[in-house]
Amino acid sequence: MPGAASTAPFSLAREHSFADPKALMAIRNLELRARVVVEGFWKGLHRSPYHGFSVEFTEYRQYSPGDDTRYLDWRLYARTDRHYLKRFEDETNLRCHLLVDQSRSMDYGSLTYSKSDYARTLAATLAWFLHGQGDAVGLLSFDERVRDYLPPRHRRGHLRQLMLALEHEPEGRRTDLSEPLRRVAELARKRGLIVLLSDLLTPLDELERSLARLTAAGHEVVLWQTLDPNELAFAFERPMLFQDLESQQDVYVDPQALRSEYQSRLTGHCRQAEVICQKLGASFYRQVTDQPLELALVDFLRGRHRRNKLIRRGTPAFLQR
Amino acid sequence: MNFLAPWFLLGALAVAGPVLFHLIRRSARARMPFGSILFLRPTPPRAVRRRKLEHVALLLLRCLSILLLAAVFARPFFPKGNASPPPAGEGRQTVVLLDTSASMRREGLRPKALALAARYLEKASPADRVAVLTFDQQPRTLVSFTDWSAWPVGQRAALAKQRLEAVSLGWGGTHLGLGLTTAAELFPEDANPADVAGLRDVALISDLQEGAKLDGLQGHDWPKGVRVIIERVDPERRGNAGLEILDAAIASAGDGREARARVANARDSVRENFQLGWSSEGGSGFAGKPVQIYLPPGQTRTFSAPALPAGAATGTLRLTGDDEEFDNTAYFAVSEMERVTIAYFGSEPANDPGQLRYYLQRAFPDTPRRQVEVVSAISNSVYSLETLNRAALAIIPTTLNADEVKNVREWLAGGKTALLVLTNAQSGTTVAALTGGVDAEVSEASGEYALFGEVDFTHPIFAPFADPRFSDFSRIHVWKHRRWTIPPALRARVLAKFDDGAPALAEMKIGKGSLLTLTTGWNPSDSQLAVSSKFLPLMQTILDWSGGVAPSRSQFQIGEPIPSPASADDVLQWRKPDGRVVGVATGKPFTETDLPGIYTVQAGSRLRHFAVNLLLDESRTAPTSADDLARVGVPLLVPAWIAAARSPEATQRRLQREDLEARQKPWRWVIIGLFAAALVEIGLSGWLGRHVKTLGVKA
Repeated sequence: MPGAASTAPFSLAREHSFADPKALMAIRNLELRARVVVEGFWKGLHRSPYHGFSVEFTEYRQYSPGDDTRYLDWRLYARTDRHYLKRFEDETNLRCHLLVDQSRSMDYGSLTYSKSDYARTLAATLAWFLHGQGDAVGLLSFDERVRDYLPPRHRRGHLRQLMLALEHEPEGRRTDLSEPLRRVAELARKRGLIVLLSDLLTPLDELERSLARLTAAGHEVVLWQTLDPNELAFAFERPMLFQDLESQQDVYVDPQALRSEYQSRLTGHCRQAEVICQKLGASFYRQVTDQPLELALVDFLRGRHRRNKLIRRGTPAFLQR
Repeated sequence: MNFLAPWFLLGALAVAGPVLFHLIRRSARARMPFGSILFLRPTPPRAVRRRKLEHVALLLLRCLSILLLAAVFARPFFPKGNASPPPAGEGRQTVVLLDTSASMRREGLRPKALALAARYLEKASPADRVAVLTFDQQPRTLVSFTDWSAWPVGQRAALAKQRLEAVSLGWGGTHLGLGLTTAAELFPEDANPADVAGLRDVALISDLQEGAKLDGLQGHDWPKGVRVIIERVDPERRGNAGLEILDAAIASAGDGREARARVANARDSVRENFQLGWSSEGGSGFAGKPVQIYLPPGQTRTFSAPALPAGAATGTLRLTGDDEEFDNTAYFAVSEMERVTIAYFGSEPANDPGQLRYYLQRAFPDTPRRQVEVVSAISNSVYSLETLNRAALAIIPTTLNADEVKNVREWLAGGKTALLVLTNAQSGTTVAALTGGVDAEVSEASGEYALFGEVDFTHPIFAPFADPRFSDFSRIHVWKHRRWTIPPALRARVLAKFDDGAPALAEMKIGKGSLLTLTTGWNPSDSQLAVSSKFLPLMQTILDWSGGVAPSRSQFQIGEPIPSPASADDVLQWRKPDGRVVGVATGKPFTETDLPGIYTVQAGSRLRHFAVNLLLDESRTAPTSADDLARVGVPLLVPAWIAAARSPEATQRRLQREDLEARQKPWRWVIIGLFAAALVEIGLSGWLGRHVKTLGVKA
């Protein structure tokens, strides 16, 4: 969740300065952008007290007779003269699906880049990060239908293919969230991580049902809503015709008269998505495009850490809330 | 503030454009792409904004630019009390240029022209200075600036008008270019251009006929501040036809054959049918039947006139059917055959192609005007002085005896010309004898052949060859020539040299006459001169230059001098067509050819007739366009059509306003304001454009 606790096991150094999103987006190569974010993120982490870090939780436990000696940490034994078992999740089996919204609404941007640029960079960053950890990462881009699909793989060249698929510009005239979620439920037979990157500016009637199908199948679902700061603030002054990027429909709006109403309706919409996620045990993050991408990564890892702690305790997440 | 061209202010109505565009481009027209309109609902535009102008500052700047542009074209100026006040101590200088050419003789032109000139005299203030010039083929000063300044202030206009009244129209052609340039040169050159701007006018009072000559105007360096005001005078009736007798037909006409006349009909003529014939004795009708001719307006054609009555020495060809009489008469004098004798001192047979005489006789073929006879020493064993006196030119190819030398020297001293041909090395004695004993060393030149190397084209003999098309003498091979060292005492002028530097042709003065010495012959053994294309014209120019040939022309134009016919008298009495007799020294041309008609002179026993006629260009009386003058660089004050369309009072007012505007030049400030407004408008619109974009996309 966005509001991460200060006692999180990993935090970025105070003196660490994040990459300015504007400067970052000025890099044309998507793969390079992702690399800059991840490396900067690592650099920041190394300056902070180390509390353990991984996509999947790891721990040491004292050896007791009967344990499998294959998991003894011999290096630790050499340093401490004590027997510890290294326990960890089977990370190499993590299969992550990145679902990226490529509809025209994502093409809006009041900064020098659009929401789509930001979301694709975020997706690339996650892919780079997970791939670096040895996880299998796949991609499914969609608008009103599924555009590209790359099954999760961890092999040489796969990341490159994924980056190329992410380079495609948004074209879709409509956003349909249920179709990609349905497709990914069909395709992902094994439990895994499903990350949906979208502005969610579409009716959410079908969202709950689609997400429920994934969570029921044991998938960990993360919804990442990407919004432009101007979509939140609606800081227009003069009355004008607003043209829907997807449907091309015009509507004459006086922003000063409609601003509070617009913000209230948008907040309600976002809250609806958030409630659905809470209900189904999915994670929900909102990322505004003027925020550093490293923060998104931090939020993501904190969320996973908290979630895995709950799971380790054997308490279902939805019962903890 | 007043405007010189106020109708341009109508352009200010264009401000309606920006106002309209600023009303139309309301904010509701701005279209903003947005991620999703899911949470937007239409809000009705507020009524109070419907008629609100957008970007008022920008609109005002645009309107200001249009208004300033209109103001520049309208040529603003600030009126000052009594318009056209000259600066203190500075007065206007005006040259009234009055056309007195023959075409101004048309009905009604003279009174109009004099009235216009008088108005310029009357309106001159005490500080002003006025000069009056008349012109036809030549300009004449009637009143100079000095005269005007010297006269008492109150009597200047009256005195000048008295001189104007005495002006009589001439018969000459219209040399407008010379008149204008002469008038412009009357202004002092050392004045500061800024001080005299609008204060120097040339008022051209003329019928502006298209036959006027504009030579000298193209590229003329006009004094600073001079402006030409065209005051065109129009005749009572339009159209005119005139005639001239073709020069080439003159000689044949005397033989009773048909004369040919060129008739011109002006462009604006209303007549097309004319009659052409010789005038009867009384001058009222035709002698014989006239020829009917048809000539459309604007055309010039040549017609066959009836034959001149047999035995008549003069005739008057008339054209009837035309309203303007001044150019309907052409005078004709029958030219007489001129018989010229050339004294040839050689004794060789005339049919020997190896000798000089053979070619000399063929160098002067008979023409309708001249018959040249080469008289050889065969028929006159010794040339007497009496015989020599009849000769126009003497050619000496041989050694002379003492009597001949004496005669020739005496003959030369009387102003005659002889051509001495050095045919051999012994010719040096002839040179020495003729030049009065100055030793001249003559020897045969060695070498293969010589060419003409240097020719003095400034001498009248070679001047006709000065054109590069005819100046190539280098192709004439000279096989043999004599090397002659000219003693300095002879003060000879070398007219041509060979390529080895030896003189080829030299001129020496013997008394009043000239002795030309050629150091080679034209016979084939000496040179190719006789068979070259240069031989005939060279001999003709030597004959013409010798001065012994009387003028054979009898047809002249107004202002053209008539060469003096040969006579033993010291003074020739010339009788002009108006009966006046003018005495002119023999040998000097008669220059008072200011009247058309027959001029007579008694030369010895012969009464010679010369006809003087108008130029045919004077008959082309259709008015020319002022654009023609502007095209050759005349600084016109206003287009002529405007001047023609305005009354004199309106013209006066307009001139005053233009003077004010020219002095003040407020348009310069308006232009600066226009540029400033345009720059601010560009900057503001650019800033607003960026601002609107920022509002929409990057807020």
